[in-house]
Amino acid sequence: MTGFSGMHTRPGRRSAMCRSRRARVTAARCIGLLWLALAAASVPFAAAQAARAEPVAAQEPTAEMALLLKMQDAARTLDYSGIYTYQQGSTVLSTRVVHIVDGTGERERISMLDGQRREYIRHNDTTQCLLPDHKVVLLERRETDRFPAILFDEGDRLAAHYDMQLAETPQRVAGRECLDLELIPRDAHRYGYRVCADTATGLLLRLQTHDSQGVLTQIVFNTLDIGKGVQSEALSPAWNTKDWDVVEVAVHEVDLLSEGWRIPLPPGYQPLTQVAREMKPGRQVKQLVASDGLAAISVFIEAYVESGTNASEAGLFRKGAMNVYRKRMGDHWLTVLGEVPGDTVRDLADRTEYVPLAAR
Amino acid sequence: MTLIVAGKESFEMQAKEQEHQASLEASISAWIDAEADIRPEDLDTPYGRQVWDTYHMIGDVLRSEELAIRPSDFLYARISRAIDEEPPIVAPHRLGARRFARAGLSGFAIAAAVAAVAWVALPYFATGEGSVPEAPVMATADPQGFHDYVAAHRDITGVGPVRQVSFEPGARP
Repeated sequence: MTGFSGMHTRPGRRSAMCRSRRARVTAARCIGLLWLALAAASVPFAAAQAARAEPVAAQEPTAEMALLLKMQDAARTLDYSGIYTYQQGSTVLSTRVVHIVDGTGERERISMLDGQRREYIRHNDTTQCLLPDHKVVLLERRETDRFPAILFDEGDRLAAHYDMQLAETPQRVAGRECLDLELIPRDAHRYGYRVCADTATGLLLRLQTHDSQGVLTQIVFNTLDIGKGVQSEALSPAWNTKDWDVVEVAVHEVDLLSEGWRIPLPPGYQPLTQVAREMKPGRQVKQLVASDGLAAISVFIEAYVESGTNASEAGLFRKGAMNVYRKRMGDHWLTVLGEVPGDTVRDLADRTEYVPLAAR
Repeated sequence: MTLIVAGKESFEMQAKEQEHQASLEASISAWIDAEADIRPEDLDTPYGRQVWDTYHMIGDVLRSEELAIRPSDFLYARISRAIDEEPPIVAPHRLGARRFARAGLSGFAIAAAVAAVAWVALPYFATGEGSVPEAPVMATADPQGFHDYVAAHRDITGVGPVRQVSFEPGARP
């Protein structure tokens, strides 16, 4: 300011005028902010809006909703064993699952039948991942449901974002009769789903994810036993892990909002969890997972490094239902992915903001 | 409105013109508040009519919550960032605080504030919910480099094939 005003013939007067105008502008902005804050804080329409958006679900759940909840419950409480197949494009992966509920809770053994040898032994919230090639057990303590459990929460937001239609004619999957339930998205922020639930028990037998063009991926049981036929011996791992190293996967919770990240989730999505994890040795990544109850999106945030990862390319990538969008934001890489449409992950990334100064 | 004008054009505008415009806005604000007699000849310009309409709209929005939108957290974040980036300016004492205090309570200040809301918020909502052009997909091939991310995603969500956590011997603590 001093240097600038010194160039003028009447520096004192000029700079005073200059300052006063700037001061008024600044004052106007401050006043503006004040009013803005007052307007937002005082007006009760936020509450009114919330009430409008989320009608209180006091009424009876629909038949469709009841079936979804029954499906989820069946996956957690029934004894079952079988082989299911994941299919996407030319990829086919088969998995054997044994699930038994005993006096101690849920026990589950999942064996990968294709590719690398690998088993997951779960007891309630504790999962051991057995890696025979490394003689390592990865230990994780977290509540994780997976196929045939597909809901992330109580499913209370699903009815607002999907139209549901229960088919009338039954299908046949894995030698059992099941009924198709169609979940049609009401907007472009999620895919459609078709689930076929066992008529007798409600257990999910087939899950298809589709867009307007057709099926993108599906998971389907090929063989399945439910109930008495399931033997608890089938829970024993294939390998004796006595001498193996046990590595506890270090994942701790973080709060991205308080770090200044403003991540605008698409309508209907709510954060499930926010964690920091080590992805490659020494590479710390923060991850936010959000879901509408069925579809899930992960947002990864990590430090930008000039050279390094082979995933350093920015842009939109897709495989089957999985869309990945990656962009650089100053000193960070932002990677958004999920089994949701490409525009959804790209929009989310492009609207995300990092304001460390506004951190609270 | 002050915000927009000052931010974009202050260096191009003649000082006099700006003073005049500011006083016109203040006058219109005063007329709307019935604090002064309306001078129709001053109002009868495109700019004058625009300000008149805008201030009335702002007044309507302030009085009727049905017309209001709730600014998002992001707006506050952007505004506080903009203020943080603003170079510190020491206001001369000579002007005195009373004039600002007066301005702060007038309809003009409210008008300026809410005009700022409308200007900043609208583009955000326009791109947020409406139809978005189809994104060009750069690669439909296997996003190889993203294997770790996909695995980490499935690790938590359990969606898709059973999570195939990538494991490197070096990852042992």
